[in-house]
Amino acid sequence: MRNFTVRQVIAGVATLLLLIAFPLVISQSVHIHVMILVFMFGMLGVAWNIMGGYAGMFSFGQAAFFGIGAYTSSYLSVAHGVNPWIGLVAGGCAAALVAAAIGYPCSSLRGHYFAIASIAFAEIVRIVFNNWQTVGAAEGLTLSMQNESFANFLFNSSKLPYYYIMLAFLLLSLAVCYFVATSKMGYYFRAIKESHKIAEVMGVNVVLYRLMAIMISAFLSAMAGTFYAQYVLYIDPGSVMVLATSVQIVLISMLGGAGSIMGPVIGAAILIPASEYTRITLGYKGTGVDMLIYGLLITLISMYYPDGVWKLLSKIGGKTRRSVNS
Amino acid sequence: MTSRSFVRVLSAALSLLLILVCSVAAQTPPKVIKIGAVYPLTGNIASTGLDCKRGVDLAVDIINGKYDLDLPLAKTAGLPNLGGAKIEIVYADTKGDPRNGMSEAERLITSEKVVAMIGAYQSAVTKTASQITERLKIPYVCSDSSSPTLTDRGYKYFYRVSPHDDIFARDQFQFLKDLEKKTGQKVQTVAVLYENTEFGSQAGKAYKRFAAEFGYKVVADITYSANATDVTSEVSKLIVSKPDVLMHASYITDAILFTKTFKEKGFQPKGILTMAGYIEPGYLDAIKADGNYVIVRSTFALDLGKNKPLVTKVNTLFKKKYGIDMSENAARSFMAPFVVADAINRAKSTDPEAMVKALNETNITGNQVLYPWQGIKFDPQSHQNIYARGTLVQVLNQEYITVWPFDAASKPVVWPFPEWKGRK
Amino acid sequence: MPDQLLQQLVDGLLIGLMYSLVAIGLTLIWGVMNIVNFAHGEFLMLGMFTSFWLFTLYGIDPIFSIPICFVGMFIMGTLIYRFIVSKVMKGPMLAQLVVTFGVSIFISNLAVFFWTPDFRLLPATMLQGTWQVGGITLSVPKVAASVGSIIASVCVLIFMTRTITGKAILATEMDRDAALLMGINTERINSLSFGIGTALVGVAGAFLSTYYYIYPQVGGLFGTIAFCVVALGGFGSIEGAFIAGILVGLAQTLGGFFFDPSYKYAIVFSIYLITIWIRPKGLLGW
Repeated sequence: MRNFTVRQVIAGVATLLLLIAFPLVISQSVHIHVMILVFMFGMLGVAWNIMGGYAGMFSFGQAAFFGIGAYTSSYLSVAHGVNPWIGLVAGGCAAALVAAAIGYPCSSLRGHYFAIASIAFAEIVRIVFNNWQTVGAAEGLTLSMQNESFANFLFNSSKLPYYYIMLAFLLLSLAVCYFVATSKMGYYFRAIKESHKIAEVMGVNVVLYRLMAIMISAFLSAMAGTFYAQYVLYIDPGSVMVLATSVQIVLISMLGGAGSIMGPVIGAAILIPASEYTRITLGYKGTGVDMLIYGLLITLISMYYPDGVWKLLSKIGGKTRRSVNS
Repeated sequence: MTSRSFVRVLSAALSLLLILVCSVAAQTPPKVIKIGAVYPLTGNIASTGLDCKRGVDLAVDIINGKYDLDLPLAKTAGLPNLGGAKIEIVYADTKGDPRNGMSEAERLITSEKVVAMIGAYQSAVTKTASQITERLKIPYVCSDSSSPTLTDRGYKYFYRVSPHDDIFARDQFQFLKDLEKKTGQKVQTVAVLYENTEFGSQAGKAYKRFAAEFGYKVVADITYSANATDVTSEVSKLIVSKPDVLMHASYITDAILFTKTFKEKGFQPKGILTMAGYIEPGYLDAIKADGNYVIVRSTFALDLGKNKPLVTKVNTLFKKKYGIDMSENAARSFMAPFVVADAINRAKSTDPEAMVKALNETNITGNQVLYPWQGIKFDPQSHQNIYARGTLVQVLNQEYITVWPFDAASKPVVWPFPEWKGRK
Repeated sequence: MPDQLLQQLVDGLLIGLMYSLVAIGLTLIWGVMNIVNFAHGEFLMLGMFTSFWLFTLYGIDPIFSIPICFVGMFIMGTLIYRFIVSKVMKGPMLAQLVVTFGVSIFISNLAVFFWTPDFRLLPATMLQGTWQVGGITLSVPKVAASVGSIIASVCVLIFMTRTITGKAILATEMDRDAALLMGINTERINSLSFGIGTALVGVAGAFLSTYYYIYPQVGGLFGTIAFCVVALGGFGSIEGAFIAGILVGLAQTLGGFFFDPSYKYAIVFSIYLITIWIRPKGLLGW
């Protein structure tokens, strides 16, 4: 277990207080919405990071787990009246199970092959859900707007509860990532990322730990999916299980800094506002200028800060610590 | 504080400052009546979104100016009951994603302070956008989304002007029955083909339901992805099932690809009855003469101008403004601003409850709409326009000609579907 | 229905050979530089638009605009490599991935900006219509594309195995460090490979434009399938990409016809997964 310096604690608490105060100061719902998306994608990025940045499995199919989480809790809620909080856990478990089922045969895949396999898997999931009548197939599921309450995970009159819940989820995922990274598990993950053979020689059960990485990642992604469903109140395969979402998750983690705990959060804090605000201010013209800017931004950042912006911030702020996580 | 954590805090503060600046910049003082419009202005379906926008913009021109047209509020400049106040549409791009539909609708209401909403073409996006308007109690008048489920929700603030896909599907079967009565041409089997998002699958369900109701046998039930790379398997399956008639619910990309593949494989049913994609302006632009003889559901066609001069007059204005003829999409989106403005005018206020009351009392007469309807009047429960109905148009000489109902037709329908080989 | 079976096989072969043609360029870039070129679909789109504008503005039939496409896209590929991709070659794999992704977004939206999102189709070009052979219908433009695919694959293979430059590329693919030691200028090889790979997919676009609709986002699904094809065949293997393309086309068509069209892409991806579980490096990969 690493200790935090006093300065790190102060910085962390200051940022947290700023985030807590933010929606109380800024009342315009669009900005709160953007921050909610930042937290949600931050969480998805952190989840990706656990299997990707740390364990070396670059997944381009996270949207499948996100969608499974959203669908599980929504289906249970709509068809069987199950409370969404229970659905949240159920969704996480369902995603973890599916993750194990797909992860096991893919145990020996690395690098590009694993990436393409993850795309293939996610597309299969999307096509299956698109044809599966019980969960609404292409029409998706619409959740009820009635009876808003914390217990029902539903808030109509204000966005604030959604904001704080998502922030809490994000902090939870960061905590999980921290524990994973600083534990023996994290050590094994990094060994696996380096080389399967070396890890085996060291006595690491490669298959088992790969599965664990994928399952944890899937569980957290599914939690974000349930949140999304309760927030937007309508899901269909075309919005929660698309390749574009998976790619965005990778982008966020990579641009922020894969392999560092805070990296994906920074990545989300940059990319999400960039895409949202360019669409808001320029999208309505229909010329595609907003996406031009977005594409340019991504290209430039990956060219000039290939290790991620988090490393850059760390370097500016002071000498880089020679530690495996920051 | 170390310089490192100082940088962290500083960057957090800077981002918050940036957001603050944006929020201040985003506010404009209300001088006119603002109506929000959510459409897919970029992304895969941008050409359609921009087409809808053309219709909306022309409507606003007419409302705000003085035109000698038999449309609500055309003859006066602006809204007379509110001192000539003008309408301004505030657009937002949804990129076709329901999540953006929700957030943009909310932003338009809370930041831009729009008093009503129109849009969003894609039914999935209209769903989430209207959920927000229902939550925030703002009226939403939709004239371009066709999923029946939108008016099944019992919403208080959501209204739909145009027909939905159940109506369109039933029309096509009614046409088959009318055709049999008139010409003795009998149809027994149908193949149902539909793209695999919400629109297509709802339409597919409607087709199958009415096929059973009207007594036709469904010999093929095929769904596919709208931007497929190739549809030869689908068309092969259609050929093998030997249907009398094909019923196809598609977007524009699949309409183009399927037409090309029908020709390539010589798919020769007695008739092809379609929805949506085939009536997009881009379809005939791309496919040209190969699109002839396809029958599409519609609410609008230029030849309606024969019996209704209003249509021709409006199309003249449209052509003057954009250089092209008015399309069905543009014509459908065209109506929503009028309904909203008319309600605000009668309510003499933009208070949501007053607007809802006025909308419930809407009674626009048939001569004041572009379509062959009795008018616009909303069902008190579902808020669906009870007079909304469709027509069928056939592509003849690369133009959309009204062929059904037979008493509104300007030319007789060409039936059966002429052979591919014999055509020029 | 044996007659239908033959027709489906032919259809699958025709679409498969197009996939092969799209994939060859991708596998070359991938094999040599270990870079996933996410912008591959967008280069396909550019090839299609090049062919479209050459026809619409200058009346040049797509068959003749192929060499122009090849040269034009080669230059573009080399430029993109030199100014953008080469900067991230020394960086982490993720950076390389993301760079091409950024380029893809940029290019497709640049196309929207200049050419609008509208759909275009090439009207009657020289290669049109269908042939009836036996009881089988063959689409002429698709046959032309298939022939083009075979010719292109053969040309690339001859180039790789019989010319000095080609052998240098192969050597770099196999072992980068050894190639360096042997005096091969790997930077130039990278640039050349990226250029050739882009030129090949540009040519694929020219062929595709003769029968598919053209618009800025057309690269999407073709790109995704191309990745599958390349991985299925084994990264870097031209023969692998060729065979895998055909297999994918057959799987898609046969699966779509005999099972269910709504699952046809799921079948393709499932076959990929099953193959990769059995042979983790792809069919012919090393």
